[in-house]
Amino acid sequence: MSRNNIKIFSGALVCEGSKLRGDITVGSGTIIHPSATVIAEAGPIVIGENCLIEEQAKIIHRVPFDQQNKENIPILMIGVHNVFEVDCTVEASKIGNNNVFEPKCFVGSRVTVTNGCTIGAGCHITEEQILNENISICGAKCQMREGLDKPAPQNLQMETLLKMLPNYHYIKKPNMKQQV
Amino acid sequence: MSYITGPEYVRYACTCGLLKSLPNLYFCRHCSQLRCGFCVCPEVDSIFCGKCSENIPSAEAKVKKNKCANCLICPSCQQDLSTRIASKGVVNPDDSKSPAKKTYYLSCYFCGWNSRDVGIPDQTSPTGGWPERENVHSNRLQELLDSYKQIMLSQKQQKENDKKKKFGKFVSYTDRTGITASALRKRIGIPDIPHAMLRKPKLPESSTATTEVEELPDKFFTQEIDLLEVTTIEQRLLQPESQPVTVDKLFPAHKQLSIKKSLRCRHCERNVSKPEYNPNSIKFKIQLFAYYHIPEVRLVKVGDLKRGQPCEIIIKFTNPTQHQTTITILNLDLAEQERYVEEQQMMDISENLEVLSLQFKQPTSLPSLPGSQPSSLLSLPPRQPHLTIKSRKIKQTVNSTVEIPQSVFILPPRDDAAEYDDSNDTHNIEDDSNLVIWRKSNKVCIKLLVNIHEGETIGEEVFCGFTMDHVYTNIIAANFENKQPQKLNHKVRIFLNLGKM
Amino acid sequence: MPIYEPLTSEKVAVVLDIGSAFTKFGFTSEFAPRNIIRSQVRCKNTNTIRRLYDFQSAEDLYDLLVEFIHTIFFKYALISPKDRPVVIVESLLCPTLFRESLAKVLFLQYEVSSILVLPSHLVCLASLAVDTALVVDVGYKEAVVIPVGFGLPIVQTWQALPLGGEAIHKNIQVLFNNTSTGAQNLSEEVLEDIKVRCCFVTKKSRADQLALPRSDLIPVPDIKYSHRGSQTLTVNGKIREKAFEILYEEDNDHFCLSTMILDAMLLVDRDLRNILAENLVLTGGTCMTPGFKARLKEELLKQLSNDRYRKLNVKQFKFHSMPCKENYASWLGGALYGATEFLGMKSVTKEFYLKEKHLPDWINLKDVESARFGSDVTSARA
Repeated sequence: MSRNNIKIFSGALVCEGSKLRGDITVGSGTIIHPSATVIAEAGPIVIGENCLIEEQAKIIHRVPFDQQNKENIPILMIGVHNVFEVDCTVEASKIGNNNVFEPKCFVGSRVTVTNGCTIGAGCHITEEQILNENISICGAKCQMREGLDKPAPQNLQMETLLKMLPNYHYIKKPNMKQQV
Repeated sequence: MSYITGPEYVRYACTCGLLKSLPNLYFCRHCSQLRCGFCVCPEVDSIFCGKCSENIPSAEAKVKKNKCANCLICPSCQQDLSTRIASKGVVNPDDSKSPAKKTYYLSCYFCGWNSRDVGIPDQTSPTGGWPERENVHSNRLQELLDSYKQIMLSQKQQKENDKKKKFGKFVSYTDRTGITASALRKRIGIPDIPHAMLRKPKLPESSTATTEVEELPDKFFTQEIDLLEVTTIEQRLLQPESQPVTVDKLFPAHKQLSIKKSLRCRHCERNVSKPEYNPNSIKFKIQLFAYYHIPEVRLVKVGDLKRGQPCEIIIKFTNPTQHQTTITILNLDLAEQERYVEEQQMMDISENLEVLSLQFKQPTSLPSLPGSQPSSLLSLPPRQPHLTIKSRKIKQTVNSTVEIPQSVFILPPRDDAAEYDDSNDTHNIEDDSNLVIWRKSNKVCIKLLVNIHEGETIGEEVFCGFTMDHVYTNIIAANFENKQPQKLNHKVRIFLNLGKM
Repeated sequence: MPIYEPLTSEKVAVVLDIGSAFTKFGFTSEFAPRNIIRSQVRCKNTNTIRRLYDFQSAEDLYDLLVEFIHTIFFKYALISPKDRPVVIVESLLCPTLFRESLAKVLFLQYEVSSILVLPSHLVCLASLAVDTALVVDVGYKEAVVIPVGFGLPIVQTWQALPLGGEAIHKNIQVLFNNTSTGAQNLSEEVLEDIKVRCCFVTKKSRADQLALPRSDLIPVPDIKYSHRGSQTLTVNGKIREKAFEILYEEDNDHFCLSTMILDAMLLVDRDLRNILAENLVLTGGTCMTPGFKARLKEELLKQLSNDRYRKLNVKQFKFHSMPCKENYASWLGGALYGATEFLGMKSVTKEFYLKEKHLPDWINLKDVESARFGSDVTSARA
């Protein structure tokens, strides 16, 4: 495992109890709960602004199976306003904006998530594919549906968390200035 | 919890011959017999909506087609839909204090479907007025139905008329003189209207067939199909009238109502289970579960299952009632049950009740147990012929025999306070130490020896069985007539699955 | 709104059409079934889903039906079945064991007051108001052709072949195996979904070319079918087009869907043939596939030039279009019949059943004898 290199922009809220490994950049406004896991194994992870990463959620940037060395692996870019709910595992190679990963879902490393997608609770998506915009997947059969809108952002929840979390948890200090 | 999910090692034979685990059985206190879900009569007790928890009278449910008027389900994933508010500016843009104009739309939290997807306009009230869709063919079908009803009515009347004529004693006067009613009418000058009953009902217009049929559109050969646009069979069948093929025709459906059901003993027509009326309550008004009346048997330990040598098993008995009971282990007498079933069937035949099943029923090969004495196991008076559920032979074969102990043992009543009582048990019960190996409050462990039959192969599951005779104290008569509680011997056949050899 | 029930109100009857794949359930005098559900129950011992028609013995079937009827009444109908009439729509070729078990369950287990049994081929004409037609029922297990002449099914001329949804599912699996895409042993559920969402009945001209080993046909676009998020199947154009071809491929005896219809016509009276040809009625869920009717017409016209059918002297075929979807056409007929006095006049009462111990059946000689004295069930249509 390479050395941890964690960059937290001011305005982000990263709890001390969270597990961050590797080269990770956390955008401002993003909240990372305690016991959430972000592992930049293969290459750096850049988390955009105003993302919410809940307890037990796992974001892992893995080396693909068919690749031995860690060369030429792009940065895992995670867009803005994404929600990673409790106990989801996301290994997607690219994540756009405004996506929701519901509890206990699993997204494999060969999946590219665009914008406004919802991966339903318990759905396992492993097959190589690019999820179109505003796709929602739900149910035991992983039924797909195309919506008109992106899921609504969790602004209220985020505001509450920003107030509440510092009262009960140690917070990692932001070490980067506000992005310009 | 192991009862709900785990395999059933201990099964009780219901009066009707089916084997069930104890929590799946009922006990009718009036007939003092075990009943299972198969031999009780279920009835609809109350109708309610599972989403809004509202009771709906059966007549209203009938009018509403068993659907909740207020709750809707998602046409895409069949989950409940919820109403969401969307504010659209203010009512009066000039007045800054005027309240925001609110509109409502439906949305599914599960799959993300919402009513705007299919172009349903937002509503101004939260409770709905959501557009309902009509069957396009209903006019034509109503017309057909009306005329069919008339045809059948006139046929029925004609039939009755024919009957009357046949048995009519007197020939009508007009018939004899050759003047029919119609001729008479003419003579008097009243316009001749044929009798209402004789009027031929108008036949409905037949549909006409055409040579033209829908051709397969050419787009099927060229156009790529987006599977996200095509509905699944479940989505289609949710709306039987329209059965939409594409997702843009999916409209929300009303939620199906649910029921609470009560169960009635078929012998005495009394309830064995009746839920409370309130949909939010999960309690019962009457619940005669066998679990509260019949001693519970659990397998504690099974020794080595080997052929040719007796295997020691330890089973635990628990008394759930407030009365002391005495338990006797008896031979599992399947021949007796078989005879009882056959007797019943013979009775049925003589009662002209039920013959059909015989021709399909193969006599099950049960090992005949030597030395079976006729017992008073089924000392009930013969069943009433109007009963329609007939007993079956117990299908389970046993491949091992339980050595029947000579002594009996006593189970003290259940005492909820005993758990907090630190003092040792004070029941001064003298036990046969060969049989009873452990005792605490209302629980007793006993040791039994099981002999596996010759000729069983290794890896086969070993089943054994015995009859448990326990003293059941019926307090119903006591409640009614201020009499002493009635004590009677009740017998249950219990089958144990001891695992693989 | 007054919501008390008048004492005199008639008890509405439940109408049941238990198909081998789907069961149509509803009430009389309604124009669409309340629910169309799969004919299956969850087996409590093994916790698996079992189809009603996959029974092992009479007792097994009885148990399955008890469970299934329980679901119908207590989950969907929400009424106690006791002392209520029930209308059953069934095929004339329904196995005796099945119909007798169903009657036994309804009368003995659920104590219904009466059962009205209606032949599906006849009653599906009720919504069309015609009394002579050639009824083609393509369901899940089999396709059954029975002509109806002047309100009487001409049972002697029945034709049946195992061509239906099940055969198509099997065919799709075979086609997948041939393409070696690794899609082996797909579950029935997936095959059905592929059939419903991807496949269609192609035109005759294309089908002929597809049958050739090499053709310059522009193939139908492929579909990427994502299966449970973990497997993507390519449903290629060939599979999509050929799935339904099994219905028209003549077997070793030169029988297929189109010959069945013409064979039935050959067996009826010469005067009736042309009337039947001009009154074709298609029912059953499989008939709802896009292109089904058009293709059947093409196939029938082609077969006419065959020597076997030249003597039919039929020039054209006319099809009726139903005022309902094909998959519940028979059910609708049952709902219409059951709404009239017919229910009271012709149904088998509990008393009768307890006395006779069986349902009257056209195949039972004893019933045929007694029917001569009484009026025939089917003569009711004016």
